[in-house]
Amino acid sequence: MRPSRLLVLVTAVTSLGVGMPRVVMAEGKALERALAEKRALENKVEALDLKVRQLEQRLEQSLGTAGGARNVVAPTPRTEQVEALDQKVRILERKWELDQEQAAAKAKEAPTITAGRDGFSLRAADNSYQLRIRGYTQADGRFFADDKERALTDTFLLRRVRPILEGTVGKYFDFRIMTDFGGGTATVQDAYLDIHPWSWAKLRAGKYKPPVGLERLQSGAELLFVERGLPTNLVPNRDVGAQVFGDLWDGAFSYAFGAFNGVVDGGSGDLDNNDSKEFAGRLFGFPFKATSIELLQGLGLGIAGTYGDQKGSTGSPFLPTLRTPGQQAFFTYRSDNTAAGTTIANGIHSRVSPQGYYYYGPFGLLGEYVRSYQSVQRGSTEANLDNDSWQVAVSYVLTGENASYRSVSPAQSFDLTKGTWGAFEVAARYSELNVDKDAFPIFADPTRAARVAEAWGLGLNWYLSRNVKFQLNYEQTDFTGGSTKGERPKERAILGRFQVAF
Amino acid sequence: MIVQVLIRAVLLLTMTVGLGASAQAQKNVTLLNVSYDPTRELYQEFNAAFAKYWQGKTGEVVTVNQSHGGSGKQARAVIDGLEADVVTLALAYDIDEIHQRAKRIPADWQKRLADNSSPYTSTIVLLVRKGNPKGIKDWDDLGKPGISVITPNPKTSGGARWNYLAAWGYALRQPGGDEAKAKDLVTRIFKNVPVLDSGARGSTTTFVERGIGDVFISWENEALLAVKELGKDKFEIIYPSVTILAEPPVTVVDKVVDKHGTRAVAQAYLEYLYTEEGQKIAAKHYYRPRQATVAQQYTEQFPRVNLFTIDEVFGGWEKAQKTHFADSGTFDQIYQPGR
Repeated sequence: MRPSRLLVLVTAVTSLGVGMPRVVMAEGKALERALAEKRALENKVEALDLKVRQLEQRLEQSLGTAGGARNVVAPTPRTEQVEALDQKVRILERKWELDQEQAAAKAKEAPTITAGRDGFSLRAADNSYQLRIRGYTQADGRFFADDKERALTDTFLLRRVRPILEGTVGKYFDFRIMTDFGGGTATVQDAYLDIHPWSWAKLRAGKYKPPVGLERLQSGAELLFVERGLPTNLVPNRDVGAQVFGDLWDGAFSYAFGAFNGVVDGGSGDLDNNDSKEFAGRLFGFPFKATSIELLQGLGLGIAGTYGDQKGSTGSPFLPTLRTPGQQAFFTYRSDNTAAGTTIANGIHSRVSPQGYYYYGPFGLLGEYVRSYQSVQRGSTEANLDNDSWQVAVSYVLTGENASYRSVSPAQSFDLTKGTWGAFEVAARYSELNVDKDAFPIFADPTRAARVAEAWGLGLNWYLSRNVKFQLNYEQTDFTGGSTKGERPKERAILGRFQVAF
Repeated sequence: MIVQVLIRAVLLLTMTVGLGASAQAQKNVTLLNVSYDPTRELYQEFNAAFAKYWQGKTGEVVTVNQSHGGSGKQARAVIDGLEADVVTLALAYDIDEIHQRAKRIPADWQKRLADNSSPYTSTIVLLVRKGNPKGIKDWDDLGKPGISVITPNPKTSGGARWNYLAAWGYALRQPGGDEAKAKDLVTRIFKNVPVLDSGARGSTTTFVERGIGDVFISWENEALLAVKELGKDKFEIIYPSVTILAEPPVTVVDKVVDKHGTRAVAQAYLEYLYTEEGQKIAAKHYYRPRQATVAQQYTEQFPRVNLFTIDEVFGGWEKAQKTHFADSGTFDQIYQPGR
């Protein structure tokens, strides 16, 4: 009998014994009564034993074990089985965990595709290979007030349509290709390769902006006014060449020096027509950038210059046409397609341009001066002409965002549902350009070419987002000379722009 | 005139910018120590001690960034361009690779510091669960059926290569031991490995935290750390009858320190490992110190064991690597994932 069964029986007997009336030992009758009670007890024990058996059978049936196999399933093998299964589960879990770690590591190595306000990009995990697609489009309106003789054409135009492809090929090599379809023509504006083993020494080769004019070096998408000021007439636009450049002291100082084919003031070029080259250089620094003088940290000062020896010809005089902010020509050298009557470049051409800007909170100030020395010849007459120009532009962001050389980034984009309007900025500018008086009358016609242009302008910029802006400018230019009647009439231009840039 | 204007302007600009920048120049220097898996805690404490020492000596504030992973993986990262000022890896072969593949250090790098540029040593032990339920006593037991063995992947982990070679060397040193018997033992051991982590720290996680396996072939320091962190009531360390002397080496990465201008501080950083304080920190983190006076203080922590070196049994790391761990080497022959 199993100990459990025995226990049940003993318990039953004991409990019955406890409840039995005290037996009064007596002869005869008392003995009979005792024997009867004993039989009754035996019957009860048998009945209880039967009941326990029945209960055990039911329990065994419910556990699914056969009657005699009650002691067959030992606890030890069962525990081992559970432990083995537990290990298997743990191993599978760990392998899954390691797979996840491996997948996460691989994900870090996978290329990423991004789309955002700075354009679209595809880049390797370590950034050593990148392709960025950017661009901007400017739809302008250009209107002239008080143009009674209708000499100036009011027009809508696509001023710039510029898709940009930039990238990194290998760790140290960047490229940029920017074409322009503005004005209905297609030109390559930028196409260059940068090699940048160190931030302090990089090499750039191709077609790009030589490091000279402060406002010229601003991106066309980040201009404070619709058009650049008069000094930009005297600095190169884009040229083909090579330069070394770099940043020092965490960007507190930058430099660039290069050799280029050489272009006319304000001009661009793709090929040279002579062996002489133009050298350009620029130093620019932020004297207080690394100091704790917060008020002056946004002050940048620099100087740039070029030196070259260029000689023009009757067919290609290599001399500029100077334009107002309304993009109207107000000065050209004499040209009648004859050697005797056409003014041409004749040797040294140099420029110098001290420049600077200052930004503090919403306030901005930009100023530059350019002096361009140009040797010219017309027939047998030669001269060294000295043209100069300067400008000062101030701006204030009404909505409080920081003003910057790199445009304004609105704190909140335009969104009617949220009641946000983007950022608003007002700006004013004065610029002046003086042509050497020795240019007249031999090298330039005083009845057709103005000697001085003085322009002032007011501007309102509405930055709907980092990518979209409206600009509205009023530009008035006064002239000295330039007309048979004395002074060329004032030019009053209203310029508007809708720009999308990404 | 133009030249004069230019010269004056350039001088003025350079002086103002230069003065502003130099006034702000701070004597801060940053090092990157690329190390192997289990040295995290060691170098956390050591870096702080060295920074304090260096600032007191030179006034420079030095920040040491740490990178940890399987030793082989870490070496490859340095070869691929990770700019480590110093490497403190699990085995000399990984640093040799940095010389051979990237030429970032000279061939004789190991002669530049004492003790073959290995400021501390360790060995390989067996960590088992409390009570040693499977009765593991020596390397032979790891190859028996039903024993679950945890060790990382020798392809990626320096520690795993030490583990593998320790078992191999043990088999060779047994009476009648030969290459075939060694291969047989190691094959049987790896048949008992259910999970191959890429580094020693990962294997510690597998065995200690995930509760997988009966025995973990481990760096001695990692085993002592596990016992200390999780209690003697959970694990026991079994010292095999014979095991290997592991000599993790260190070196500056010449091309990087010259580029960063950090050679002096990087050199001093490694030399500081050999000082009494450096040695004590190593011992505190269960690495066997080289300096006898410091080792004397930790005799209880580090039992005497019968050790062999890689040169004695395998003829050096280059030969061992080529024979056992190169593609199609012995390890590739004996271990087939998924089988």
